[in-house]
Amino acid sequence: MPWSNQGGNGGGWQGGGDGGRGPWGQGPSGQQPPNLEDIIKKGQEKLKDSLPGGGGGKLGFFIIFMVAIVVWLASGFYKVETNQQGVVLRFGEKVAVTQPGLNYHLPFPIETVLVPNVTKVNSIEIGFRQTRSGSQTPFTAESLMLTGDENIINIGFTVLWRIKDASEFLFNVTEQELTIRAAAESAMREIVGRTQLTAAITEGRLKIESDVQEKLQSVVDVYGLGVEIAEVKLQDSEPPAQVIDAFRDVQAAVADKERAQNEALAYANDIVPRARGQAEMMRQEAEGYKQRVIAEAEGEAARFISIYDEYKKAPDVTRQRIYLETMQEVLTGKNKVIIDSDGAGQGVVPYLPLNQLNNKGAK
Amino acid sequence: MGKTFSIVLAIIVVVGGIITSGTLFTVNETQQAMVMQFGKVSDVITKPGLQVKIPFVQDVIFVEKRIMAVNTRRSEVVTQDQKRLMVDSFARFKIIDPLLYYQSFGNLNVALVRMETLLSSQVKQILGREILTNIVSGERSQLMDTIKNQVNAETEGGGIQVVDVRIVRADLPQANSEKVFERMRTQREQEAREIRAEGAEIAQRIRAKSDRDKTVIVANAKKDSEILRGNGDGEKNRIFAEAFGRDADFFAFYRSMQAYREAMSDDDTTMVLSPNSDFFKYFGSQSRRTAN
Repeated sequence: MPWSNQGGNGGGWQGGGDGGRGPWGQGPSGQQPPNLEDIIKKGQEKLKDSLPGGGGGKLGFFIIFMVAIVVWLASGFYKVETNQQGVVLRFGEKVAVTQPGLNYHLPFPIETVLVPNVTKVNSIEIGFRQTRSGSQTPFTAESLMLTGDENIINIGFTVLWRIKDASEFLFNVTEQELTIRAAAESAMREIVGRTQLTAAITEGRLKIESDVQEKLQSVVDVYGLGVEIAEVKLQDSEPPAQVIDAFRDVQAAVADKERAQNEALAYANDIVPRARGQAEMMRQEAEGYKQRVIAEAEGEAARFISIYDEYKKAPDVTRQRIYLETMQEVLTGKNKVIIDSDGAGQGVVPYLPLNQLNNKGAK
Repeated sequence: MGKTFSIVLAIIVVVGGIITSGTLFTVNETQQAMVMQFGKVSDVITKPGLQVKIPFVQDVIFVEKRIMAVNTRRSEVVTQDQKRLMVDSFARFKIIDPLLYYQSFGNLNVALVRMETLLSSQVKQILGREILTNIVSGERSQLMDTIKNQVNAETEGGGIQVVDVRIVRADLPQANSEKVFERMRTQREQEAREIRAEGAEIAQRIRAKSDRDKTVIVANAKKDSEILRGNGDGEKNRIFAEAFGRDADFFAFYRSMQAYREAMSDDDTTMVLSPNSDFFKYFGSQSRRTAN
């Protein structure tokens, strides 16, 4: 808001920014005059009514004049709201800073008062614009900047500020808000220029915020702007839209890596216990085999021993019996060809029709 | 009579007003003023408040006292390492000597144009001596200080003091930006690929390890089972040896008998026998033949 109204009643200075025009927007000396005029006129008419005749003219003028003086003096009363500070100017020179409450200044045109809002926190958005629906659209001319490792980053941030010293704010610098804005943008670019891209989009964000706040505060202090930078808040700090897909793919790759690892672990968790099961099965089988073989051997041995024990009591007979029993069993039901090897049967063997015998056997 | 009085009063008021307005003037907190007499500066007022001048003879010129801004247009700077940068900057300045200022520039518009020219040429000149990384990251604040001092040196004679110079943007031109984007993209692609390959590596490692574990577990089990089987077989042999060792001759006979029974259990067996065998000892005659 430019300072064009030099000698005026300060009607323009109600809020710190352009927005806040409070209920006291017109200032103390702006609102009263119409009412006063009415009062004066009414008073005049009353006087005329109460003092008929020409002789009362001078007295009437005098009373009107006195009333006007009183009213004029009374117009010096003004109220400073709790969120405001009053700055009293006497012929343009600052003579007092007044606190909230009812105050008095010498009436216009001797003194005027400015009542800027000093508690209101103003915000400046840089790198994006808030649309009416509340969504944020990036403003790339402001938001794209170079990082320390010569990458480009998309930064959107908000600067919150309020007036620290009303008279400094009013009198020291022109275009106060634009000044803060330009200084903030410059400070952000300076800080980001010293930061690596990966830090700026991840863990370095808090540091950027505090560094910019500090830098910005020192710059506005150099200007004597009378402003306190309450906060610098990063809204966006991310790779530009042109490359964000590639960055997201890196995130996806990290997920892929974890997935591959988990799948492999699942495979391992599946295969190793199974192998252990299989191993156990093999051991048990072998153990079973061992037990079986031993048991069988023991059984067989025991059988032999019992037969042998009997055999020892009558060896010849037993031997003969076993032989004959075996032979009986073996020869029963078999095809048999008995050839005498001593006499005539001697030469028969070579002519024995083995195939026929076999065929017959096969039937 | 009342009418005459009114007219006289009105004239006094009007004339008094004219004289007063020509004599008194206020200098605001944000202003400084020069009192001019026939085109010559007769007084410089920097203190705000009510001031007096000679009416009709003296004039007042108001001069801004606050810090003002001058912004440069976005212009291209070629850095020392032959890279191109689009730079815009601003300066904040104030008029510290209204007389010098008035003599040098005359009015604010002229001053602003001159300041802008001066600032942008100094920016070009000083940044042109630096390499890109210094401008972007390294010594930005020193560079801004240098520019400030240079501009200051040239404007001091004009009653202007530069409070601060700041580079706002120092960006790559569009074409170079595209290259940077391309580089960023390829870097990320590289990174993504590496991460995925690492994933494959880890997965393969885990799989191979588990395959190995499986093989080892199974092989050890095999070993154990062979040992067990061997133990069993050994035990069997021992048991047999112990049992059968009691009478080797009988064992041979007994085992042979068992073997015959097993081996010839098949019904299709055709046997060619000699009646001379032991089995047929009594086959031919009742009496016992002498064995051969």
